[in-house]
Amino acid sequence: MWKIRSGAESGGLPQKKSEELIRLENLVKIYDTGAIKVLGLKKIDLTIRRGEFVAIMGHSGSGKSTLMNILGCLDRPTLGHYYLDGVDTAGLSSNELSFIRNQKIGFVFQSFNLISRTTALKNVELPMTYARISKKKRTERAMELLECVGLSKRAYHMPNELSGGQRQRVAIARALANEPPLILADEPTGNLDTAASIEIMEIFSELHKAGATVVVVTHEENIAAFTDRIIRFSDGQILEDRINENPTPVSGRIHTKGLYRNRQNKEEAVC
Amino acid sequence: MLIENMVMAFYAIRANKMRAFLTMLGIIIGIGSVISIVSIGDTMRGLFSDLYKDVGITQAYISIGYWVEDVRTSDYFTLDDLDRIKKVFGDEIAYIDSSASISTDVHAGRTTMKFDFSGVDYPYQEVQPVTILYGRYLNEGDVLGRKKNVVMEKKSAEKLFGTENAVGKTFRTTFYGNTDEYTVVGVYEKEMNAFQALMMGTGGDTGAAFLPYTILTWPNDNFYACRLFAAEGTDMPDFMNRLMTFIAKMKGRNPEDFSAQTAVEEMGTVDGVMGALSAAVGGIAAISLLVGGIGIMNIMLVSVTERTREIGIRKALGARTRDVMIQFLTESAILAACGGAIGVILAVSIVTVGGAALGLPVVIKPGVILLAVSFSAVVGIFFGIYPASKAAKADPIDALRYE
Repeated sequence: MWKIRSGAESGGLPQKKSEELIRLENLVKIYDTGAIKVLGLKKIDLTIRRGEFVAIMGHSGSGKSTLMNILGCLDRPTLGHYYLDGVDTAGLSSNELSFIRNQKIGFVFQSFNLISRTTALKNVELPMTYARISKKKRTERAMELLECVGLSKRAYHMPNELSGGQRQRVAIARALANEPPLILADEPTGNLDTAASIEIMEIFSELHKAGATVVVVTHEENIAAFTDRIIRFSDGQILEDRINENPTPVSGRIHTKGLYRNRQNKEEAVC
Repeated sequence: MLIENMVMAFYAIRANKMRAFLTMLGIIIGIGSVISIVSIGDTMRGLFSDLYKDVGITQAYISIGYWVEDVRTSDYFTLDDLDRIKKVFGDEIAYIDSSASISTDVHAGRTTMKFDFSGVDYPYQEVQPVTILYGRYLNEGDVLGRKKNVVMEKKSAEKLFGTENAVGKTFRTTFYGNTDEYTVVGVYEKEMNAFQALMMGTGGDTGAAFLPYTILTWPNDNFYACRLFAAEGTDMPDFMNRLMTFIAKMKGRNPEDFSAQTAVEEMGTVDGVMGALSAAVGGIAAISLLVGGIGIMNIMLVSVTERTREIGIRKALGARTRDVMIQFLTESAILAACGGAIGVILAVSIVTVGGAALGLPVVIKPGVILLAVSFSAVVGIFFGIYPASKAAKADPIDALRYE
């Protein structure tokens, strides 16, 4: 059904189960609007290792959204290579990218992006539906995930019956459904109040501790402060890439036991 | 996955009930009219075949053609002609008479009533049996002796004389200017099938009675037409061919100068009329299905635009082009199939209620219903292809950004 070329096959780096989860090489993105060509990203080289908790910062127009789209396999680079979990995504078809998104990436969006008129449970099940997991298994797993984010009682609620923080927790549960190695959050706290924002960031911290690789795109310093590494973008280039020595400590109120299962040691479920 | 898609489609349709209903309307009308007309056609066909079984499938009616301009006295039939035909064709002819009937007023005491008299030969009871309740049927003596005896229908007798058993009662009536007294020698009962009841009305004001056909041929014994029943199992076209040749020869004319109507031919005419009607309604149905299909396409395009963001989310979560395509195709197929199902329900109710009101046995074939619903689903899929492929091709980034 699925045909994914590994990096080795497509002539990229020889693959072993490396430390690197994300590797960008000479990545260039040009937007061709017809009249003018806009340079979205200018020769980016970036490596993110497994288990890192990274914030990508920048003003609007800095290229962080472009990078986000490429990291999320929603868009393809114009030039250069993007290796995700050993797979060069540059030459993949849109269906192959769908598979990568389904298996390797868990998205958390600013506007939650839950499907309306669909229960929280069904929303969480959705990535598993596209992964062709049986009805029984996916309902089981979805309930387990909702339990972990403290929303098991809200499983049959529609998104419009949930608060912003609850919606974002459903979205996180959904992002984790297929146990992806990468969790990609685009302004996850942008639509939330401070309390809910902290709650969401604490969940990400816990996920990071459990071994997940979390990349958060944000423009808020206090949100970035939760992470271990802060990458600043400006004008399509990396302005600064530093280690955050003192990440904001988390309260420990949030328990994410069972929320994230590290799949690193499992056999690769490709093809 | 298919079931999942169907459930999703139902949710999506349920979310916009009114819109879905209006969209379905074309399909509802199309399928509804197809099912109705097919059922009406089947019902009519059933009734007519019942009717002709009743009338006698071997019945034929022969007369000088209305298109013949130089009609001579010798072109009319005489009693001798009937005898000759009987002699030549022998057992092939089960019954023959002058096909005479007359409508006139009868008087009994102070009661006056309109009656339809059928002039028959006594063996008519063998080809078109009726149940004799009182007295007897007409006999050879009545016919040959032109006796003024009649066999009267039960309800007519009750109306005219105030009693069912009217044997021996008399009434006066006038045929061809001769007023005479007639005697009831028997009372019969005839069961009517649904179609006859429909055509003749139940318990109309006109009475019915049989009398010797020789009375109605009198005084000059010439008659315009003859009717006959061929023996059961006769090859009608061949028989009619030979009969017409013989009659033409007897009358010194060409066979084309005589008109012959047979029950078999009339049944063909009914089928032809029903066929033409079916074709006309079929055409209307095809147009309304086309319009309905376009309506579905239109609403699916609206739906795809409205749900651009949903499509973006699904794609971000790993839906492939095909998944999105199938989701929207399922939705349009279900939308159309629901329309088809509602159309079927509507048509079946209308036909059933109408049939019950008219007292007709309604024929609805399950195969037709199945075909109609499947066909509407096919219409839905066909007209859903364009909107679905538009949805499937949506770029996830643009779709996610859509407000």
